[in-house]
Amino acid sequence: MTGPFAWFKWEALFKDWAIFKDGFLTTLTVSILGLALALILGIFFGVLSVSKIKIFKFISRVYVEFIQNTPLVIQAIFLYNGLPLIANIVLPVKTIGVLAVGIYHGAYIAEVVRAGIMSINKGQLEAALSQGFNYWEAMRYIILPQARIVMLPPLTNQAVNLVKNTSVLAMIAGGDLMYRTDSWANEKLYYGPAYVLTGLLYLIICLPLATLAKRLEKVNFNNINRTEDEEMNIGCDKEATA
Amino acid sequence: MKKISIILMIILSVIFAGLTGCSSEEKTSSEQNSSDEVQAIKDRGVLKVGVKVDVPNFGYKNPETGEIEGFEVDIAKAIAKKILGDENKIELQAVTAKTRGPLLDSGEVDMVVATFTITEERKKSYNFSESYYTDAVGLLVKKDSGIKSFKDLDGKTIGVAQSATSKTALQEEADKLGITVEFAEFASYPEINAALTSGRVDCFSVDGSILSGYVSDSTEILPDKFAPQDYGIASKKDNTALAKIIDDTIKELKSNGELDKLKEKWGLQ
Repeated sequence: MTGPFAWFKWEALFKDWAIFKDGFLTTLTVSILGLALALILGIFFGVLSVSKIKIFKFISRVYVEFIQNTPLVIQAIFLYNGLPLIANIVLPVKTIGVLAVGIYHGAYIAEVVRAGIMSINKGQLEAALSQGFNYWEAMRYIILPQARIVMLPPLTNQAVNLVKNTSVLAMIAGGDLMYRTDSWANEKLYYGPAYVLTGLLYLIICLPLATLAKRLEKVNFNNINRTEDEEMNIGCDKEATA
Repeated sequence: MKKISIILMIILSVIFAGLTGCSSEEKTSSEQNSSDEVQAIKDRGVLKVGVKVDVPNFGYKNPETGEIEGFEVDIAKAIAKKILGDENKIELQAVTAKTRGPLLDSGEVDMVVATFTITEERKKSYNFSESYYTDAVGLLVKKDSGIKSFKDLDGKTIGVAQSATSKTALQEEADKLGITVEFAEFASYPEINAALTSGRVDCFSVDGSILSGYVSDSTEILPDKFAPQDYGIASKKDNTALAKIIDDTIKELKSNGELDKLKEKWGLQ
């Protein structure tokens, strides 16, 4: 039997499973570190973008607009081929992966954070400041915890997209899951099973992530329902059913 | 959790439906007399061929004329003449290392003449004709790198093309010499060249004929050549009648000296 999904191709795939395992672990590592970087950058620039000081707002805008409006592929190739030529900086390729997806999704997360903060009544910040919190403390203890419920669903989107976007490493010989799959599939031309397995492996990372976020959303929602007053309760119910 | 298991079930069933779909198709097509497929090409009146468009002298889209031309295109024309009686009844389609397998499987192209190296593993998936060209793997390095032979590449990174067999060949050679080399694979030749320029890789290694198109003022090809690779014409595994015609045509071109003339025409060897 021949064809793209012939059994002997699956057998060859299982024999070389270690190649896919290595790629999977690289993708997982880059995803976790990239997500951490994206969250740090996102929260930092998100908070800056609602600052009253114009220059902070401006810096945040430049970062967000510049990164959001250029392709991730170009950013990655710039880090890979551009930096060595321009500045003689040769970063390890996995570091480039973390930086590329971290900075890219950091820009999107900054927008999520900005939207989240703006959804909270201004009075909350004013009250916090009047109680002696400084700006960052007020954000950390008063505003962001409340904004979390609004931010969580779009944040999940970003996290899942980030995992999938680590596949940009395949273009710059990054040794990630997509790279290993391309390499293996094209050498033997047994592409059928290879891409099915790889799709499933990405699913294995992304699906639990999405499920975890859904669960956190529920916990948050219940917390708010318990602690907020009646009015807020009705508001949230409407939002949930809408 | 229930939802997840339902989703997984759906996904798995789609995959298996795909699998069984494919296998039943194969059965019917292989049950058919495969000369029917040759007849189908004749009825269609055109031979669909996958060729490279980025390898000068083999398959290259001439930017001035917009035509795809080269040694391999001429071979494809000879086969079209054999089947259809007219060498112009071909439809050329650009393929890359990544797309040539799937295009054959889906029937988008009848055959692929695209610097396709014959290997045992690939023979399991496709029919290969006998070799029409043999090329060795070459090494391109920067002049100022101080690398003068393959031995100097100890501990260095070599840029190779995905789906190229050069990686295996070089690894064997490195093992023989007792040196260690690392590989970085890229999807296209220009990408490897860019990585060489930026210093990401220390050496650009693909088949010699392809490599010669990328030599510049600051780079040079080392005298070392490795592992001669045989190029063959690939066609669908179950279409044995077409494979036989292709193979016969290559044999004929070899015996009547046409193949050597074509090589000369394109400045090969």
